[in-house]
Amino acid sequence: MNALTVTNLGKIYGPGGAEAIAGTGPDTGTTVSPLTGAVVGCWDVSFEVAPGEAIGIIGESGSGKSTVMRCIAGDQDTTTGSVHLASLDNGATDILSLPPSERRALRVDQLSVVYQDPSEGLDLHVSAGGNIADRLTAANWRNFGQIRARAAELLARTEVPLDRMDDPVRTYSGGMRQRVQLAKALANRPPVLLLDEPTTGLDASVAAGVLDLIRDLLDETGVAAVVVSHDFKVIEMLTRRCMVMHHGRVVEAGLTDQLLEDPQHAYSQRLVGAARG
Amino acid sequence: MAHANVLLSIRGLTKSFTLHAAGGRLVRGLCGVDLDVVEGTHVALAGRSGAGKSSLIKCVHRTYVADSGQIGYRTPGGGVVDLASISDVDMANLRSVDMGYVSQFLRAAPRRSVLEVVTNAARRGGIEAAQAAADAERTLAAVNIDSSLWHTYPTLLSGGEQQRVNLAAGIVVAPRLLLLDEPVSALDPASREAVLNVIAELTTRGSTVLSIFHDLDAMRRLADQVVVLADGLVVDQGDPEPVLDRLAATAHDLAEVAL
Repeated sequence: MNALTVTNLGKIYGPGGAEAIAGTGPDTGTTVSPLTGAVVGCWDVSFEVAPGEAIGIIGESGSGKSTVMRCIAGDQDTTTGSVHLASLDNGATDILSLPPSERRALRVDQLSVVYQDPSEGLDLHVSAGGNIADRLTAANWRNFGQIRARAAELLARTEVPLDRMDDPVRTYSGGMRQRVQLAKALANRPPVLLLDEPTTGLDASVAAGVLDLIRDLLDETGVAAVVVSHDFKVIEMLTRRCMVMHHGRVVEAGLTDQLLEDPQHAYSQRLVGAARG
Repeated sequence: MAHANVLLSIRGLTKSFTLHAAGGRLVRGLCGVDLDVVEGTHVALAGRSGAGKSSLIKCVHRTYVADSGQIGYRTPGGGVVDLASISDVDMANLRSVDMGYVSQFLRAAPRRSVLEVVTNAARRGGIEAAQAAADAERTLAAVNIDSSLWHTYPTLLSGGEQQRVNLAAGIVVAPRLLLLDEPVSALDPASREAVLNVIAELTTRGSTVLSIFHDLDAMRRLADQVVVLADGLVVDQGDPEPVLDRLAATAHDLAEVAL
């Protein structure tokens, strides 16, 4: 069974509903509805991810890839579609239909997110240990010693120096913040992990280290992952299948090496051509 | 297919490339290829550059998307699936357990040691950790990679060494179908000899090989059948000796004309 199933996901920013769709998308080159003026963030996005599998979403800024992720994560409302987790009621429940409190509760141990900006996933004024403890206590961990030990174990695994564990995260470098985000995201062993540009903005050598860590963690945990990135190197290293998004639509989906070597859609060809120089 | 032990049965395979950046210009790759590969045999593809050899192998591996035609593949269970039309997920699963692909270019993950690259390939092939490391060491030794190089990054190695690391990762768990795209193009004589022996041993252990070699001698030694492609079509096939003799004669004629 697929760990995550996303069906016909759509998000429209602005007034009205599906009448905004006509005249938007890759064919017309715009996400703004000529009829209603609403912006189509993403539309008709469907995919599944199996346990232990990582799927990529690639596209340029404004293509809708982060919108898809935020709709799944519950960071914003969705206009239409459904999202099912195998770990929740055996996949019977559409998580988009849950009330906000239950939706938020999924983030404790069902569905974790690592953001490009660590301040979205972490409280920067709290220590690394405290950030992880926060996630553990949400999952009803009560024993201080056990919480401390688990936090130290996670930070050791993500290669955060343990002598910095009690320092506020705001005193950490960018690469270390991402490592703490990963430690926190995986604290309660969620079956699904969403990664939104997890290495974007880091120095090349630091990004490489974080990327290696993510690859190892995906291998070790068997988590089902969705990796959103504009960078083919990230997608190539982490995923075996991926989707290309453009103007809010999926223009092509395939095996990652196929999308790199034999892109079919005009936009995919342009994207690969640009990446390959 | 009539033949029960045909592993790969390709019919009417076509492949072209639409270059959107060049006004949608169409480049032809394969123009209707028919080909059978019997299980446990080594079939070598021959022909000039641009004849469609790599395109054919990449279509079988789904690195290229075929335009039309079938790629019948007999699964371990005995059923036949069409590699040209099965889902990406099914293809990905088939690749991880059944099919190896080794190109002339390094495809190893960055920032992993030579030994890790091959050990991880063994792990993905279902070998447990301790055994995987031992298998990796044995395979690296077999393709003539000195143990002093095992703990360096493959990207630091020479082209020929990288090719052999690539090959070791591809065969550490013998795949049912191994696709080889010029695996010995940059090798010194001693390493080439080691690699050819390793490939020969694969078919004796039951693997099926579909290969591209530049040198005719490798084909004479390894292939059970040689298939000649020209302009995206099969133009000759059969036992290696007569087919390669005819190919050499044609090449000679072409050279004469050019002179």
